[in-house]
Amino acid sequence: MEEKISEIKKEYLDNIKNADSLKELDSLFLALFGKNGVVTLLPKDFKNLSSDEKKTVGPLFNKLKTELENAIEKKRTEVRETSYQQLADESFNIDNKVETKKREGHLHLATKFKEEIIQLFEKLGFSQFDAPHIESEKYNFEDLNIPKDHPSRDMWDTLYIEPGKFLLRTHTSNFWPRLMEKKKTPLRAMSFDRCFRYEAVDARHSHTFNQFEIAVVGKAGEITMANLKYLSDYLLKGLLGKEAKSRFRPKYYPFVEPGVGIDCLCVFCHGKGCRICSNTGWFEIAGAGMIHPNVFKAAGLDPKEHSGLAWGFGPDRMLMIKYQIEDIRLFLEGDLKFLQGFNKP
Amino acid sequence: MKISLGWLKELVDYQLSSDELANQLSLTSIGVKQQTEDYLELDLTYNRGDLLSLRGVAYEVSAITNTPLKFLSDIPEDYTWAGKNLPQVKVEIEDEKLCPVYCVAKIENLKVEHSDDTWVKKLNDSGIRSINNIADVTNLVMLEYGQPMHAFSAKAIKNETIRVRVSKKGEELKTLDNKVRKLEDDLLITDSESILGMAGVMGGKDSEISEDTTTILLEAAIFDPLSIRQTSKRHGLYSEASKRFQHGLTKLRLLQALDGAIKHYQSLGGQLTAITLKGDFGQEKRSIDLSIQKTNSLLGVLLDEETITKALQKLNFTVSKKDSDTLEVIPPYFRMDINIEEDVIEEVARIYGYQKIEGQPLDGEKPEKLDQSLQKFIYNLKLALKDAGLTEVQTYSFFSTKVLQALKPDAVKIANPISSETEYLRTFIWPNLIEVVAKNIRAGFKDIAIFEIGKVYSPGPTESYRLSIALMNNTDNPIEELVSVIASIAKQSLKGLELKEGGMMKELETLFHSKRYASVEDNGKPVGDLAEVHPRFLNEFGIDKRVAILETRIGPLLINF
Repeated sequence: MEEKISEIKKEYLDNIKNADSLKELDSLFLALFGKNGVVTLLPKDFKNLSSDEKKTVGPLFNKLKTELENAIEKKRTEVRETSYQQLADESFNIDNKVETKKREGHLHLATKFKEEIIQLFEKLGFSQFDAPHIESEKYNFEDLNIPKDHPSRDMWDTLYIEPGKFLLRTHTSNFWPRLMEKKKTPLRAMSFDRCFRYEAVDARHSHTFNQFEIAVVGKAGEITMANLKYLSDYLLKGLLGKEAKSRFRPKYYPFVEPGVGIDCLCVFCHGKGCRICSNTGWFEIAGAGMIHPNVFKAAGLDPKEHSGLAWGFGPDRMLMIKYQIEDIRLFLEGDLKFLQGFNKP
Repeated sequence: MKISLGWLKELVDYQLSSDELANQLSLTSIGVKQQTEDYLELDLTYNRGDLLSLRGVAYEVSAITNTPLKFLSDIPEDYTWAGKNLPQVKVEIEDEKLCPVYCVAKIENLKVEHSDDTWVKKLNDSGIRSINNIADVTNLVMLEYGQPMHAFSAKAIKNETIRVRVSKKGEELKTLDNKVRKLEDDLLITDSESILGMAGVMGGKDSEISEDTTTILLEAAIFDPLSIRQTSKRHGLYSEASKRFQHGLTKLRLLQALDGAIKHYQSLGGQLTAITLKGDFGQEKRSIDLSIQKTNSLLGVLLDEETITKALQKLNFTVSKKDSDTLEVIPPYFRMDINIEEDVIEEVARIYGYQKIEGQPLDGEKPEKLDQSLQKFIYNLKLALKDAGLTEVQTYSFFSTKVLQALKPDAVKIANPISSETEYLRTFIWPNLIEVVAKNIRAGFKDIAIFEIGKVYSPGPTESYRLSIALMNNTDNPIEELVSVIASIAKQSLKGLELKEGGMMKELETLFHSKRYASVEDNGKPVGDLAEVHPRFLNEFGIDKRVAILETRIGPLLINF
């Protein structure tokens, strides 16, 4: 057996040394470690050995395995590096008019959804205003009535760049103070953009996600919760069909007062209760409220002179509900089968 | 917090099933996380600290179901200690800002035993384990009144003196969970010699109630919420007690709770033999002016004075008329979240009923349109790329560990990454597209043409928009087709963009094919790269096909700090 091992070693190390293509190395690998490879089959004969022999053969066999594996890997790198030398002989003619292949193109599901929503609100006079992803604590928290060291900060699990200074914004709401401080009121603004949270990724959660948010600012007494109700219904009907409607529940967000959670009548069971809405007839979809006086103050606007509302939701979750998508990771992990499968949602 | 329904019924005479109550609470008061026949678990928010007590919940339930409370409001003459001339326990407070109120009651003649079944059931329904009768009283009282309590074994306290002070450098304490904690700016309870516990967060091992305890010093105090929050955070100790201290407590409820606790101990045969009530027990009155007109304009409804007054009175607000449009409103002492007019309006709205607010379209002046050129440019570019046969992908804003290894970029670092996969922000998009190409080759794709438009980040920090394309067309020379793809969209969507062969920056040499490279220029300024990715880089991702990429800056730099 010892002899057989040393024979295999000699023969294959030679073969590996002489190989000069990746293909050749692949077939050598198969010949050794494939289903019927010589190394794979070798242990079958071990049962005929005496226990003394086994003691010497065992380590020899393991050594053979690693040596051959390493030799192949090393040779692969060598072959590759040699082939990289040849790249210098390749050419590039930038003026060569190569015909492009016919392919069917696709927009990402979130892009189509974003456009749908943007168009809905453009009709009502809203403009997009996008704020930075890397944000200061001032715009992400302090100006939104979430003071430093206030327990309500725990509502946002935050990824920090420099604690006390920069962070990855936890919501699109950082656009309001940035826009309001320009003092161009009245305002009807919206943003559909990326946000971040300290959250482990699984089928239902992601540290990177989209938010859509609107903010309306007008003169004192002008903007009302009745407007908020209208806009909630407008969006839900626009996206999910005429049957959809909203319902307010009390909910706390430091940057609005009153603050409400918004439920949408389940469009799958018409409010009767089904698997999708966990038998409640409604699903939680958004958060909203009337802009808090402290938010106006922070932006340098007199709260006595202004009124405003804000409405925000997670489009990823809405898409998951609308298209019965089970795994949120599909949005950001580049699975082309998924991305090209949604042709005409 | 879990609300024991059996216990709640002792406090308020409501007639609803567990289902109905949960539904009504979630529509008018607060979300319900979980519900069973025995308890409801509330989805507590940071404003409603009052709902961290069963009495607080009873007030709320009474208001929304129009049913009477079963406990009497407060009569100070009935407190256990009223009219008695009891000795005091010595209490010294270093800083009254950190501890505005400190009460301690000495109770003797106790015997440590198991609690009876009613107490055990109440605790179980509330999600708290029964320990022994002495400790259980502190928990029962905390649950009912919202006031945390702590019972020290009197034997362990030297000279019967209690001090409240901030820790000094180098001090240590063995807490109830048997861990030795290094103290640092933590508020402490000590006796004349040693440390008894971290105020409001966790007691020390040495003064714990033991089998043979017969005399206790019962603490009921108010500590500075911020100090408690910092100590909790620093030591990773989050308890039912520390949560309540952080939300804020009231002096009146503290006295009620102390009285309740003493009565519980008396029912166990205990005797109150000394008491100290230290601090200013005067209640500050919060009076808020509520404009009827403002209420209606904020809500978009038409409520009259009577409707508003009735809604607030249900919630125990005191309401009086100031002038034709103004009501003077005094919130009940336990609603510490009500501080401004808008807070009061929210109360009116939810009691009146959010469902009665009818939608009204926005009217008034339409604002000036903001500059939408970047957003429109990006969307049109996406459409052009789609029409050219490319599929849009969106990838994470981070670099995976694999990309980091291959690229070694100078990137923005996250101070508290979730894992090594979220430690650095991406400086390019194309390496993420290479990962997408690899993944889809493994899934059997023979031709991959993808793009992403998104942000990249650099130290500074700054961020900017980029377009990136990757093409794997199963040939040995994908870059020439990529040039054609770009040419087909450039005329319309990327005006001014030019490709100039050669001129690769030195740091890109290991990443890209030395011959197949062009710099991307926008009106003469370099803005990006067009390249065949070096096979060595691709091999790292298990790709043995050729892949060409484009990466170019689009739109203006976004730096607004």
